[in-house]
Amino acid sequence: MRGISRYALPLFTLCIYVFLYVPIVVLILFSFNRSAYPYTWGGFSLHWYRELFQSTDLLHALYNSLIVACVSMVLSILLAVLFVFFRPKNKFNNLLPLFYGGLAAPEVVLAVGLLTLFYFLMVPLGLTTIIAGHTLVGLGYTIPIIQSRFEELDTRYTEASMDLGASQFQTLWRVIVPLLYPALIASGLLVFIVSLDDFVIAFFTSGAATQTLPMYIFSMIRSGATPVVNALSVFLLVISSLVVMMFSWLQISKADMV
Amino acid sequence: MIKNSLSRLFRGQRSFFLMVPALVWQILFLCIPLVVIFILSFLKVQDNVTLSYSLSHYASFFKPQYLKIIFRSLLLGSINTLICLLIGYPLAYYLVFRVGRWKNTLLFLLILPFWTNLLVLAYAWFFVLDKYGLFNNSLMSLGVISEPLTLLNTPFSVYLVMIYCYLPFMVLPIYSILEKLDKRLIEASDDLGARWWESFWRVIFPLSMSGIQTGVFLVFVQSFGEFVIPELLGGGKTFYVGTLISHYFLVSRNPFAGAAFTCFSVLFLIAVAYMLYRMFKKVNSTGGVR
Repeated sequence: MRGISRYALPLFTLCIYVFLYVPIVVLILFSFNRSAYPYTWGGFSLHWYRELFQSTDLLHALYNSLIVACVSMVLSILLAVLFVFFRPKNKFNNLLPLFYGGLAAPEVVLAVGLLTLFYFLMVPLGLTTIIAGHTLVGLGYTIPIIQSRFEELDTRYTEASMDLGASQFQTLWRVIVPLLYPALIASGLLVFIVSLDDFVIAFFTSGAATQTLPMYIFSMIRSGATPVVNALSVFLLVISSLVVMMFSWLQISKADMV
Repeated sequence: MIKNSLSRLFRGQRSFFLMVPALVWQILFLCIPLVVIFILSFLKVQDNVTLSYSLSHYASFFKPQYLKIIFRSLLLGSINTLICLLIGYPLAYYLVFRVGRWKNTLLFLLILPFWTNLLVLAYAWFFVLDKYGLFNNSLMSLGVISEPLTLLNTPFSVYLVMIYCYLPFMVLPIYSILEKLDKRLIEASDDLGARWWESFWRVIFPLSMSGIQTGVFLVFVQSFGEFVIPELLGGGKTFYVGTLISHYFLVSRNPFAGAAFTCFSVLFLIAVAYMLYRMFKKVNSTGGVR
């Protein structure tokens, strides 16, 4: 029986990693392909990367995505910190599940709901409406993470600060926020990457005129992708790797990244 | 006087109102839209002008073609969840208990796809599954097949990429539970003479139930409503719940029928989720598998 855990499991794990990485490696290889035909190798070239950074549509979509991701990140952190800090101790605990709603419901339902709401309120669709949706989902990440770190803090920090005459805002800004720093960065990065990756909510709530990066990729895949998409994909892979490395660098338990 | 009351507001313990913005956000963009969808589902446009109350949308969904779509999505969700669990659990177990030095690297490699754009992952599979892609090419050069297989735009490609994209959602919750598990319990079980698989089956597995539960719900609910993968890799020919909902809202522009179909399909989702919930509760209360 020992054989199972000694040989079968490592072999199995190896297979899973091959499964996970074969498509990604092939994608990276073909982004350096000279040939315009997507699936035949025509020699090494950086041509598609050059084209990537010359496409104005793409740069515009990237710009939109970055704005949405940054604003959603800041809003999610800000609202979460205010909620966590100003919530009376041990009261309104039953409100917390409300924030999981954005993660628990199928994305398409959230997106359709938001679209209908904006339609009835006659809010013009655009970057703001995407930000509203992404912050909704983002709060589902920031509030639980920041909440659990906040609960681990010694309440005497707050008490000491207030006793020494600091206002609530001074306490929040100069005592609590520095102590929560890792949790703020971690949850913020999570919101950033979730927002940058999200297709469904953006697709429904962006209106006809606005395009984010995932929407750009989607339309390109559908209309027959050129190898520019490969180069773009590798670019996004690099961004994800950088963010994951920032996590390790911040020494945050990786298990919390879920 | 205003200054006085303001300073009282900020200096006293009474700034509770600052927890409100997050709540308002959630209510405005989550609760109200769901209520609106629910109300819309009972409305119908008559003669292009007036709205009237009607159950006719719901009635029309009790037809084989609609029920088939819902069951197709339920099947996709269930099979995807099951396979992710069967693959994901041993993987999480291996990463926590058997890997020494390489643990962080392997974990990094597992998290990376999880944090990578879903569209990029789906797109990467085109290179493998295309008629002249990696899979067909290798099989043909090995002489296993003489004609390229059609893999793209089939249910097979949808299932495969679903498993690929959702696997980390299953592994990571299980991993984090196993990682936090008190290792002394396993040592105790080993010391008391249990074989490793007895320790696994009677100690580790029951204690990791909450991680399994999180993973199962995450994967099942999201894959039930999945829209992107069936759309891109299913060739858009076969409708799933997510694709039909988007069709109602974005293509045929019929939000009333769309809202009704959303509610109708979510009812099925809730029913299955409730059954799963009961199942987990039962397993937990009997202390796991015996």
